[in-house]
Amino acid sequence: MNRANEPKTESPVWRSLDERRQSEPRDMRTQHEKHPGALLETRALLDRRGFMQYTGLTAAALGLSGCIRRPVEEILPYTRAPEYQVPGVPLHFATAVSHRGDALGLLATQHDGRPTKLEGNPDHTGSRGATGLIQQQAIWDLYDPDRARIPAQRQGDALRDSSFAAFDQAFDALLETHVANGGRGLRVLARATNSPSFIRLRDAASARLPQLRFHTWDSVNEANILAGARLAFGQPLGTVVDYGAARVVLSIDSDFLGTEPSAVRSARAFGPTRAIERPEQEMSRLYVVESTFSVTGGSADHRLRLAPSQVDAYVRALARTLQTKGDFDLGAIAPAVAVTPLEGFGGHTAWLDAVADDLIAHRGMAPVVLGSGHSPALHGLVHAINLALGNVGRCIKYFAPVDAGATDPVEDLKTLVADIGSGSVETVIILGANPVYDAPGDVDVRAALGRDGLTVIQLSSHRDETSELATWHVPEAHFLEAWGDHRAIDGTVSPQQPLIAPLWGGRAPIELLARVAGEANWRSHYVVRQTFRTRFPGAPNFGREWRRTLHRGVVAGTGGVPLRPPRLQADAIASALARPRESMVDGLELVFLPDSRLFDGRYANNIWALELPEPMTKVVWDNAAIMSPATARQLDVRNNDVLRVSLGEASIEIPAFVLPGHADNTFTLHLGWGRPSAGRYGSGKGFDVRALRSSEHMHHVSGATAIKLPRTYAVVHTQEHGSMEGRPIALDATLEAWREDPRFAQFRSVDPSEGPLWERQDYGEGHQWGMTIDLGSCTGCNACVIACQAENNIPVVGKDEVARGREMSWMRIDRYFVGDEDDPRVALSPVTCQQCEEAPCENVCPVTATSHTPEGLNDMTYNRCVGTRYCANNCPYKVRRFNYLSWHEYLDGDPELIGGVATMTPTYGNMPETRKMQYNPNVTVRMRGVMEKCSYCVQRIEAVKIAGRREHRELRDGDIRTACQQTCATGAITFGDLNDPRSHVARKVRLDRGYHLLAELGVHPRTTFLARIRNTNPAMGTPAAAASEEAEG
Amino acid sequence: MSTALPTDALPIDDSVPIEDIGERHLMPADMTVSEVTTLVAGVTENPAPRGWWMLFIPAVLLAGLMFACIGYLVTAGVGAWGNNAPVYWAWDITNFVWWIGIGHAGTLISAILFLFRQKWRTSINRFAEAMTVFAVLCAAIFPALHTGRPWFDYYLFPIPNQMNVWPNFKSPLMWDVFAVNTYLTISVVFFFVGLIPDLATIRDRSTNLLRKRIYGFFALGWRGSHRHWQHYERAYLIFAAISTPLVLSVHSVVSFDFATSVIPGWHTTIFPPYFVAGAVFSGFALVMTLMLIVRAVFGMHRVVTLKHLDLMTKFMLATSMLVGYAYAMEFFIAWYSGNEYEWWHFFHTRIGLADSTGQRSPYFWAWVAMVSCNVLVPQIFWFKYARRSIPVMFVATLLINVGMWFERFVIIVLSIHRDYLPSAWGIFHPTLIDMGLYLGTMGFFLTMFLLFVRWLPMFAIAELKGILPAAQPSHAPDHHEAPEAPAGELSPAPAE
Repeated sequence: MNRANEPKTESPVWRSLDERRQSEPRDMRTQHEKHPGALLETRALLDRRGFMQYTGLTAAALGLSGCIRRPVEEILPYTRAPEYQVPGVPLHFATAVSHRGDALGLLATQHDGRPTKLEGNPDHTGSRGATGLIQQQAIWDLYDPDRARIPAQRQGDALRDSSFAAFDQAFDALLETHVANGGRGLRVLARATNSPSFIRLRDAASARLPQLRFHTWDSVNEANILAGARLAFGQPLGTVVDYGAARVVLSIDSDFLGTEPSAVRSARAFGPTRAIERPEQEMSRLYVVESTFSVTGGSADHRLRLAPSQVDAYVRALARTLQTKGDFDLGAIAPAVAVTPLEGFGGHTAWLDAVADDLIAHRGMAPVVLGSGHSPALHGLVHAINLALGNVGRCIKYFAPVDAGATDPVEDLKTLVADIGSGSVETVIILGANPVYDAPGDVDVRAALGRDGLTVIQLSSHRDETSELATWHVPEAHFLEAWGDHRAIDGTVSPQQPLIAPLWGGRAPIELLARVAGEANWRSHYVVRQTFRTRFPGAPNFGREWRRTLHRGVVAGTGGVPLRPPRLQADAIASALARPRESMVDGLELVFLPDSRLFDGRYANNIWALELPEPMTKVVWDNAAIMSPATARQLDVRNNDVLRVSLGEASIEIPAFVLPGHADNTFTLHLGWGRPSAGRYGSGKGFDVRALRSSEHMHHVSGATAIKLPRTYAVVHTQEHGSMEGRPIALDATLEAWREDPRFAQFRSVDPSEGPLWERQDYGEGHQWGMTIDLGSCTGCNACVIACQAENNIPVVGKDEVARGREMSWMRIDRYFVGDEDDPRVALSPVTCQQCEEAPCENVCPVTATSHTPEGLNDMTYNRCVGTRYCANNCPYKVRRFNYLSWHEYLDGDPELIGGVATMTPTYGNMPETRKMQYNPNVTVRMRGVMEKCSYCVQRIEAVKIAGRREHRELRDGDIRTACQQTCATGAITFGDLNDPRSHVARKVRLDRGYHLLAELGVHPRTTFLARIRNTNPAMGTPAAAASEEAEG
Repeated sequence: MSTALPTDALPIDDSVPIEDIGERHLMPADMTVSEVTTLVAGVTENPAPRGWWMLFIPAVLLAGLMFACIGYLVTAGVGAWGNNAPVYWAWDITNFVWWIGIGHAGTLISAILFLFRQKWRTSINRFAEAMTVFAVLCAAIFPALHTGRPWFDYYLFPIPNQMNVWPNFKSPLMWDVFAVNTYLTISVVFFFVGLIPDLATIRDRSTNLLRKRIYGFFALGWRGSHRHWQHYERAYLIFAAISTPLVLSVHSVVSFDFATSVIPGWHTTIFPPYFVAGAVFSGFALVMTLMLIVRAVFGMHRVVTLKHLDLMTKFMLATSMLVGYAYAMEFFIAWYSGNEYEWWHFFHTRIGLADSTGQRSPYFWAWVAMVSCNVLVPQIFWFKYARRSIPVMFVATLLINVGMWFERFVIIVLSIHRDYLPSAWGIFHPTLIDMGLYLGTMGFFLTMFLLFVRWLPMFAIAELKGILPAAQPSHAPDHHEAPEAPAGELSPAPAE
């Protein structure tokens, strides 16, 4: 026997032959560890002494626990374990969601059966791994405690809880009568869809019940875009702008990085064109013409603020200028643009001449995009401009529409209301929509749905404003609870895979529709499979293909193939343009925009959305009439003054909020607020502006008046001071200036030469985590803020506490205005913990609750924190957040006001169970009295490190992605190992435009900012010059 | 003690006034030892005057408010206060520094003035020592309760534990814990040691058994023997020597909380002397305020004479100017350093230059209050009339304490409410709990103080006797009245 070959683990001491023979105890144990049941194998670890110790300890603990009443809990093993489920190990599933007519592939994280986080699916073209704000906050809605839980039937004036069985019975009976009469008097009101299953079932239902009519209603819709394409090409088309291929972008009232359709897709492509690394590189240039200050306007190199009524004149004048300068043939359209008076938009000549020159110089790479709020005729004109510029096929691609049968929602709703009024409707099935809240003010849906004898069956997530009139209300399943499918605007089809059985037994819209269509098996799983089966006709191994599709989240072979655009219908555009434009009325103009967080109001009970600062105003928990400083002076109003805004008969009361850079004489009113029955958190928050919106003027209207009322309303915003006061914070330079002085940013904030008093830690070895934030590509869209909130269990504190300055978000996007008060530009700076190597917070903590890891992270030990708050005082970036009260339960508490202090019973009993289910189990939920802050997502770092160690492999760059980085659509955030010379972050840290925020303090932050480079066009002149031109003009 | 002096030199005894230059005795010439005993010990023996009750009842009510506020604060969380981000410290630490500052006069008077043989201190030292103890107790409430989880405050103490986790010795807050605890301990011991002979006096004068037992217990068997006196004097000297550096260290360490930070307005090397001067200033002011009240209520005009008050006002005038110098120097350095953040703090936040949007600091008034109360008001003491006018002194000392509170408020809140990144700027609004707790600590302090005045000798009887004209060796014997030996002082007590 060769002793050298003996396992080293063999003990020289042995007590039995068995023990001696057991030569590989350690290996045995590692094998066990791979098995989920390994934790149960504790017998071998427990010897007599251990047993005695445990017994003694247990006895002592039992004795002690006699004093404290503890809840009786039972731990039961699974009798049949869920597939793949290892306790404590998260699973990821591909799924998808739709927003504004485009689909977005998602990867959802699930912990022990609970979906906790949504991330973009890298294989999906609409997301390519990123998500927007709306998708980040969507996970909260799954756990919204106010979701409807059980079907309800109207009895007298009230909805009374019923049961699914009763509903099914009633629904079947109802359908039977309609089947008998061919669907006469049956209407379905649904939201716009891009679900192939929905479309398939819609067709099937129409075939089965020939007199059945479908109506679409969405308060925020893409009808103008589709109608514009139909006008221009004679058929509806999906338009995709490839910003990645664009060199010059002219965005006209289009917040394509924020609230417009396909924003994530656009931002994903646009971001890299702004992240220029070397001075000789080319970068894109963005011109923005808009009324309100949007995130797109904030990212612009040149921005023109223009009231929406002037946009029409601007686009026509631009078309004419392009026609003249570029020698384009606009054909029949030419007369329509020739008549436009130049004064119509204030005579910003550079915005015609210089912009037209620039567009022409970059033919084929110079898309012009128009916002969804403008008329189909104008969209048609922009299609013509893009064709003339040669953009189509290069940076603008057309695809078959996601729903060829899409109709105009406003007309649809009006028809439905009229038909109900005429008595020809017996039954309305509402799938998801909430028209009583979000219909325009002149369409009286309430009266229509309240008509005697009308049966209204509403499927929606909450018992909302429309439910008050419903005969039956059925809970709608969240998209993570039901099967579905989505077609992206470029044709990519994705399955919507549920991660959890419906928490309250909700139904999907396609399930109700399948029953209308007469499908024998109407369960969403079957319906979607059925759709896919017809999509892969004759596939012998559908099962494997299905599983592969579910795994990838994308149906192979779909999408990405653009249509060759049909011939431009110049005559149609010309005649549409020639139609007399509505005459301009004196008075204020109102712009109705979807809220970036609540959208059309469907997220109005989402506490993350409610407490997220609006990107530009930074207002939380409210909306307001947003206006320019000049308009505010003219009306003699200040922030918080309540205005009565009237338009004809209708009027609303809403507080004023002044936003520099807003178009003059114009109010921006965000939709989605002021819902009376949103839920316990959202009801009554903000102001409903819908009364001023009419079916004729869904997007903007002129002729309004505003009167200041003698009272104020506190609008709370998170950033009181909007000026950098000359400090080197969010640095930027023009491209020319940067080329002359590439390291300008580093000279503005210089690391001191003197080191700290004590010996510096050696960061030469091992992983050293660092982050770069590219201010050039950050748009301030806030998706990272919500991603951080979802990932790190960050609580929401409510409006009053935000007013006190106690918001908890670990990441904030600082917004500074630079330049002229009326027409400033915006400098953004996302600030999280900078993970200073010489962290000022660490020195001052008396209990070492915050300390440095060998990998350069500034860690918080929550258990150790007593909450002196000294660290937060000494943080120059003010990124630490303190749990002044028990925030997680705070909104569910019983707040009575005692002298401005909200009191509450300090129990967690009030907190809805479902909200607890959202928490990420890998991140401690902090109690009151504890300091917290950004950790660079240390739980993600550790998870990847542990996985790497188990698989015996080195970490690769990009393995670890922080939550904010992961979701960022423009790729502004890079995270990685600074000691790995090939890592992205190490390369970016060395870029010329990199700088450390407040470097002169000598704290050596690990986060490096990359100064923003603005690709300004010298021909546009300076803003001041433009202003004086305007004054002269 | 003068035996070692050369015989041709005059014995240096500063309790002997040099009459040639117009000096007079500190105490009235006709004051006798028995009068001192009767006057001081009598307060503890006679029924409390009406004035005492008029102060005591509101004080107890306010103390109750303090406990109510503490109960609420601990139940609800620190959010019951108005503290926020970025103003993580506000009234809590302002009040802490203010109370600690007030506690400074005691040790200074007892220890430093003792070492410098300022005999006039004997009329105020007991008083000031008691105030120190109570003020430090009030002060300690704030750091103890300002933590988010006060039940874990023991983490701040270096208690050996199985985790081998120690406090962070780099943290000035940690130093605070040591400094304040040391100061409290030494102050209590010093206070108690000084009390022993006087407690024995009261014991000996007691006519009922309970008093005799209680005072007797705390008198630690004092019999007034020479050996007792020798040990006592030596101990007192040693404690004075130990306390003296503490006078300087405590507030220096408190100032390190701010001076070692990176926040403009806090990060200042001038802070230790500045804080100590301010502390002495405010301490003297409060001693005087209370002294004026007690003097009136208990009729102690013959023990605390205008001469004493005159000397105290001079002390305040001097420290006021030290503080004023510090204020000026901060502005000078803010300008001279060229540091834009410092400049911003002093010239925009404090004195209200407009910022780029035309806005002015919301806290200009706080700075005005601080400078006018602390620098301008004490200038009145250049005038002899003011130094001898009780109403002027009373108002001025009250204003000084208001001003010193504002000084801490200005330093703490104004500095952090607008630091480096304008995006993170905020403002502070106190809540009722903030106010209630602050008022409550005043009530607690007054309650403790009034109980002290009522039940303990508020003047150092033995020491006062040492500066009576009658106690001087040069004093003509014919002024003596019939010798009556106070028991605690000269002769052993009769056997019980």
